[in-house]
Amino acid sequence: MAETVIEVRDLVKKYGQFTAVDGISFDVMKGEVFSLLGPNGAGKTTTVEIIECLRALTSGEVHILDMDVKHDVLKIKNRIGVLPQDFNAFDLLTVKENIEYFGGMFEKMLPPDELIKAVDLMDKRDEYFKNLSGGLKQRVGVAISMVNDPDIVFLDEPTTGLDPKARRDVWGVVESLKARGKTVILTTHYMEEAEVLSDRLGIIDHGKFIAFGTPREIIDKFGSGSNCIISNCDDRCLGAIQGQWPGALRHGGDITIRLESKSSLPEIIYALDRSGGQYDQIQVTRPTLEDVFLSLTGKKLAIEENDILFHGKKKKRKKGAA
Amino acid sequence: MANRILVALKGEARGFFRSKSTVFWTLAFPILLILLFGAIFSGGGTGKVDLAVQDLSNSPASLTYIDALNQTGSLNIIHVSVSEDINAYIKDNSPGAVLIIPSNFASAFAPNATANTTSLLLRTDPTQSTSAIAMGIVSGVSSQFNLEIAGGANVITTSFGDITNQNFNFIDFFLPGVIALTCMTTTIFWMVSVMTRYRTNGIFKKLTTTPITRYEWLTSQILWQLFVVFISVAVIVAFGIMLFNAHLTLTWIAVLTIILTSALFSSMGMIIARFIREEEAASAAANAITFPMMFLSGIFFPLSSMPSWLQSIATVLPLTYAGNALRDTMVYGNSSGAINNLLIVAVLAVVFFAAGVALSKWKTE
Repeated sequence: MAETVIEVRDLVKKYGQFTAVDGISFDVMKGEVFSLLGPNGAGKTTTVEIIECLRALTSGEVHILDMDVKHDVLKIKNRIGVLPQDFNAFDLLTVKENIEYFGGMFEKMLPPDELIKAVDLMDKRDEYFKNLSGGLKQRVGVAISMVNDPDIVFLDEPTTGLDPKARRDVWGVVESLKARGKTVILTTHYMEEAEVLSDRLGIIDHGKFIAFGTPREIIDKFGSGSNCIISNCDDRCLGAIQGQWPGALRHGGDITIRLESKSSLPEIIYALDRSGGQYDQIQVTRPTLEDVFLSLTGKKLAIEENDILFHGKKKKRKKGAA
Repeated sequence: MANRILVALKGEARGFFRSKSTVFWTLAFPILLILLFGAIFSGGGTGKVDLAVQDLSNSPASLTYIDALNQTGSLNIIHVSVSEDINAYIKDNSPGAVLIIPSNFASAFAPNATANTTSLLLRTDPTQSTSAIAMGIVSGVSSQFNLEIAGGANVITTSFGDITNQNFNFIDFFLPGVIALTCMTTTIFWMVSVMTRYRTNGIFKKLTTTPITRYEWLTSQILWQLFVVFISVAVIVAFGIMLFNAHLTLTWIAVLTIILTSALFSSMGMIIARFIREEEAASAAANAITFPMMFLSGIFFPLSSMPSWLQSIATVLPLTYAGNALRDTMVYGNSSGAINNLLIVAVLAVVFFAAGVALSKWKTE
């Protein structure tokens, strides 16, 4: 049985009347990547910031590396590494100097060059931080979060606002953290990210877990069956499908049918054939965490395009972190 | 702990020196003030040397002597009435040179002289270049008199004295004020901008995830500000001495005053940044606070020249005491006066620092 490094019991955080975290409990094992997933304002950042000793809890118990967040703040901070949401460093210091700056705050500091290599930034080592792109800045942030050789690394929405290429680069860095045996706590509102990176995850909505387990377990449990998507149907096809499967979802000419069992696929093809209509293709997709979230809450988790635009244009911090 | 403060200090220093425009304007501001006000108030003058003359003799002989002084064309004679106390006159009018003609002046030249000699008293301000001119002319006119009237006998002698209430030119009055002003503006604006900026751009957030405490961070900022302030002070003093022949002494009281004034206004900046979160708004607030202080604390003009209601406002402004302390110790050599002002600055610095640290929590609730 793996060693427990974080233990959260009945954690509650209230801001006045508003309950941001509503009695959640979970354990994190040594060496795993554990993700907290949820829409903005669900309570995931509040939860991790309480574990990081940045916020006071209202009630409940949080232990990290056998220390209590209420009493051992400095000891805990020395043994964890944090990449905060909307991370920023000193514009007029170089990558290496920034790492040295933050490293100097801890009792222990790894050689900066080793960290720079780990995030693959050797060619940018002496570049001013302000001259780096968003994705590279995040990688500097990950390097800084490892500077004190922490037991646990917290990455709070490390890819929010990044373009897809930069996002995948950061994923690579997270995977290398895991390969080094670090325990990683990741918060994200991108389902795909959680699915790719996490060993286990909890989906939070309104301060509570609505699903918990490995990505596979969650999908199997909550993602009821696969989807069949028929694209570019003409009216005859649409009529035939909607007549037989009233629950089918239509987006323009595309129609999506939830497959309760594999046997319904031939029926669909038969119905299309019999209608004599035209369509482009039939596609069967496995359910994703996105579908799980949709079916659990009835709402979409993140509208990615808008999100990137929003964050890309507006660099200001959101008030009252989620 | 000391290590963390040093690391933070080094980080600020690097960033500061890499931002060339920040370095330039930090140093340029006080220099511009000195150049501007120095040029306005130091004035070129008429080329003549002012000499205040108190004629206690008031006789034809003394009038002839004064006329002879006037004839040289290099002196601008100012008559001081006999009834006036000369020390009070010096204190109120700050003349560059004062000549006192004794009451026995005429009798020294009388045919049956009761006194063989008469001694003029010339008091000059040794720090002013004009004092040598006054001395030269008075000696010259005296020897001419001795030669023509007394046939070469040394009837008129001149004794020299300093003007005890030293005469200070405007730049001497002004420079300590500029130093106090620089302590204020440098620190208050730095603190406001760095705190609002780090809060907005997330650097505070990152710092809170490390073991550095806000006491350590604030200490590092104040130490860094002291460093910048002392560079500025060195530049101010150097410019003042080189360009305007200022007379300043750097005393330990002055050093202490500079340190405490900087701490005081750093803390004030912290408090502003605590309540006003946006960088632009916070620096506007800092302007609103520093601007009146600049003009009402006797930095540019002596307080005594202001209406009394403005003077009473000045008594509640911290900058007044910083300026007074520096002026007392650096220019007037008045240590006890300086220490009294310094104590007021010290108390205010402690109060503001405590309030600043208490208020500037960086842990989000």
